[in-house]
Amino acid sequence: MSPGKGENMPVVEFTDTEFMICSAARLLEDRKTFFVGWGIPQVVAILAERLYTPHVVQIFEFGAVGPQSLTPFVRGTMGGPSNIYRSLQWTNMNWAFSYAVNGYIDYGMLGAAQVDRYGNLNSTFLGGDYQRPRRRFPGSGGGNEVASFCWKTIIVLKHEPRRFVEKLDFLTSPGYLQGPGAREATGLPKGTGPWRVVTSKALFGFDEETKEMTLIGVLKGLEPSEVLRGMGFEPRVSHQLLELEPPVPAELSLLRDEIDPSGLIIRGEKMQARR
Amino acid sequence: MPAETEVRFIHPDDFRRWVKENKTREAVDKLMTEREAVARFVPDGAYIANDFSSLTRGPQALIREIIRQRKRDLWVCAVFTIYDSPLLVGAGCCTRIDVGFLGYGNYIGRAVSTGKVKVFDYTNGVLASRLLAGARGITFIPVRNFLGTDGLRYSGAKVINDPFTGEPVCLVPALNPDVFLVHVHQADVHGNARVFGTNLFTLEGAMASKRVIVSAEEIIEPLEFRKDPARTTIPYFLVDAVVHSPFGAYPGGLPGRYELDLEYLDLLGAIQTDEEMEDYLEGHIYSIKDHLEFLQKKVGWPKLKELMRKAAIKEGYQ
Repeated sequence: MSPGKGENMPVVEFTDTEFMICSAARLLEDRKTFFVGWGIPQVVAILAERLYTPHVVQIFEFGAVGPQSLTPFVRGTMGGPSNIYRSLQWTNMNWAFSYAVNGYIDYGMLGAAQVDRYGNLNSTFLGGDYQRPRRRFPGSGGGNEVASFCWKTIIVLKHEPRRFVEKLDFLTSPGYLQGPGAREATGLPKGTGPWRVVTSKALFGFDEETKEMTLIGVLKGLEPSEVLRGMGFEPRVSHQLLELEPPVPAELSLLRDEIDPSGLIIRGEKMQARR
Repeated sequence: MPAETEVRFIHPDDFRRWVKENKTREAVDKLMTEREAVARFVPDGAYIANDFSSLTRGPQALIREIIRQRKRDLWVCAVFTIYDSPLLVGAGCCTRIDVGFLGYGNYIGRAVSTGKVKVFDYTNGVLASRLLAGARGITFIPVRNFLGTDGLRYSGAKVINDPFTGEPVCLVPALNPDVFLVHVHQADVHGNARVFGTNLFTLEGAMASKRVIVSAEEIIEPLEFRKDPARTTIPYFLVDAVVHSPFGAYPGGLPGRYELDLEYLDLLGAIQTDEEMEDYLEGHIYSIKDHLEFLQKKVGWPKLKELMRKAAIKEGYQ
């Protein structure tokens, strides 16, 4: 599915969430396994399966292995019948995570309230202290397992500068911790870690040597400086920046008409770009 | 153990002795009402765990009964207790939560901020592992995650050098709840039980807990279990009480039987203030005698029929 090219392509309108979902779906590889969290990752998995990776095997922490989820996506579903339809296996949480612990899971995906330069994530609280936080969030859920065990973790979050911080208020799920070698030194499985950060404006990777977050792509029409402005730390910038295509019609019609017609997940801030 | 934390822990020999002295091996009739099961087996101060979630096959009728009986000082293992943990805290039933996933909405977040409830942060997988250790009768289980996190400081986990690799490994303490609450598709009066679909830790939770309350959508004959024993999820001798609770997972869904009620879940998700919480509890729980009256007055047959009709997928649930 290659996005349209041309001089006088029309302006396309989409939400920030739709762009993140499409951008994330394009990263997956076919015939690989994918640990799917609640919410946005569920929609990414369905979109990718329909358009790009028909043989991707989805695994859910509540014990569904390889479902062929039905659409429309049922709002709030978590292990409901359309979510876990025609699975290969129905099991439980300890066994579902065991696949990840033993190296069977290629990709994982999760969101967060804060991320730092090494891809460490906070989904626990903001401000105040642990006992009296200013804002308290649900916490790890299964996110810590996804970030610890999957070979490649994809982080998805809205591009708000305040989310990119020098120091997290709480480290919920590990990225590269304090830098090269720190994950392994702390006892986490070797060769794992954050691989991409998908935002509503850009795409980041991690430098192989320093493990620092590195800007590798920008939404078509945006300047890198617009993306980097206000971030709480200065990420590295790749010499060759990708131009990220805005959502293509096939992606948008699937998302809007088939997967999430109620707009529960895909709604968000309006954006536009020229194809 | 860091000063900031409290850990629920029972020596395995104490648990074994408790099982020997308190869990009957006789296949007796354990059928009782929600009211009796909760009154007998959920004391104030109890540590409770459940399966599966507020949205899917959760023991919602039992949770409402706990609130109705105004239990106090409960400690909750929160994995997918999305709407249950706010209600239990809002009703003043719960003062401590071991967090995998705290819960949904602003109410529960603010309850933490104001100190109404104390939290101890683990992860979903770590809590499932703790229950597995509790079920296996061992005092801890090693895990290769949770390392490098701030949760280590606010939980019962310890990091040691693995005697086999020489590398750091995280040990998490076994969890043996006082009470495990589970809603199942089918049970007999002795407590044999079947769940269909996926689960979080139905067997681990039941095996690890001192008391098990099963609420069942349907009561079937004991012989049915012997005809298809591979499908028995929980054997009767783990179970203390069997409650017949049709629509016991409402407003969540029961796979293959009825879908979740999104409108009602939105009503729960919208609760923000103590006043709104009190209004909900008064109108939907305290002023309602029992589960049957709740279904009659607060849900109604047309809605229940609609939710049954929406549960069109039957594969795997028969």
